[in-house]
Amino acid sequence: MPLFPSVALQLSGDAGTLLYIVFFMGIFVFQFAFGTRIQVYFALNEIGRGLSKLKVMKEKSRKEAIDYLVNVGKAPGDPTQRIDQFLDYFTLMPVNLDPQGLVNKIDHIVTTSNDRLRAEVTALVAQNSPVTVSISENLLEVATSLNMMHKLVRHFYILGKKTNSYFTLIQLQMLMPMIIQECDALLNAVDSFKVGQPIGDGIGAVAASRLMMGKEKRAIAKDTVMAITEYKGRKLYVVKADGPMAYVGQPGVAIKKVIEEMGVKPSAIIMIDAVLKLEGEKTGEIAEGVGAAIGGIGVDKFQIEEVATKNKVPLYAILVKQSILEAITVMRKEIAEASEKVVQTLQRVIEEKTKEGDEVLVAGVGNTLGIAQ
Amino acid sequence: MMSSVPATDKKSKLLVYSIDECPVCAQKTKRAFVVGDYITKDSSKCTKCGNQTRVGLVYAESSKPSG
Repeated sequence: MPLFPSVALQLSGDAGTLLYIVFFMGIFVFQFAFGTRIQVYFALNEIGRGLSKLKVMKEKSRKEAIDYLVNVGKAPGDPTQRIDQFLDYFTLMPVNLDPQGLVNKIDHIVTTSNDRLRAEVTALVAQNSPVTVSISENLLEVATSLNMMHKLVRHFYILGKKTNSYFTLIQLQMLMPMIIQECDALLNAVDSFKVGQPIGDGIGAVAASRLMMGKEKRAIAKDTVMAITEYKGRKLYVVKADGPMAYVGQPGVAIKKVIEEMGVKPSAIIMIDAVLKLEGEKTGEIAEGVGAAIGGIGVDKFQIEEVATKNKVPLYAILVKQSILEAITVMRKEIAEASEKVVQTLQRVIEEKTKEGDEVLVAGVGNTLGIAQ
Repeated sequence: MMSSVPATDKKSKLLVYSIDECPVCAQKTKRAFVVGDYITKDSSKCTKCGNQTRVGLVYAESSKPSG
């Protein structure tokens, strides 16, 4: 069937066929010669649009951080210049050519970085209550992350454009929806941080807080508290970050101290944390498992696994499923209401895995913003 | 700084609430989140038994009825 019947009708049979072949050959040659260029053009357009969105996001998060420091933190001068310098701070990870002792080096560098951040923020604000300082830290971390993400995407966008590299641009184009989604989640987190609302990641802290309520609390590690309570003849050592500040604490150091310095011999370590759900899974669903339930860079996880292995203490995990957006924005009803089920699950695990007279270590992991104890 | 209207998340239309729990009679009262609220913070007196309530939960709900 000729593509253009009216033209074909005017030509004799051979000429029409020839035109037909030439037309399709032309399309083939065009596709062969310019196909990738067209795709590069579309990829550049799409990445460019994403990059503009990222720029708006990073500007907004920067402005929110400045506004918070000025309005709530009562920064005496204009903190803009200092914050702009701060957004470009970086943390250089240690060399991993010789992996022995690497975790301790990472711990040292990350601790230095966090201490520096807190010192900078404390120096910037006049209203230096721990809650305000911790919220400012979190807002600056969000602004730094978005700034870094924008810079990285821009780098590969310009590099791909300069070198006309099809594969660089196509890979970036494929990643853009996920990058935008994560950055959008980070930006949304700002609204919760500013007003001190608990975030989804804090569900472990909520469960621990319920156990610690009314008990004497003591500092056990940096930004981390512990309380002793009882459940059906078992002595529970409950650990969480010190709320209602936006802290994650040092659960690794805390658990190590309870076992090694306080001489506690727990029959089980039970960790409660938020976990990223897979698409299709329901928010607030509880999953049980074995192992150290803790995210982050890996230092706390390493410390907990090491002390548990050394002392042959079984590690159990209770996890509450949620998306990345739900984890870093204000706690959803489904997640908050799962806290009661988490405590019930915890009690069941304690009854099943330990006996009367045993000692049990419970760690509520996560950002404890808006969750005191 | 104090706000008596529910804090809203403009994008996903979320309303944030604080749930006051009475440690004695276990009555739960749902009210709009107020800046400064945090879990375990002392709240108002219990309307049922008059004891001191505490903020037990803070969570967000969609403003649209689900389903």
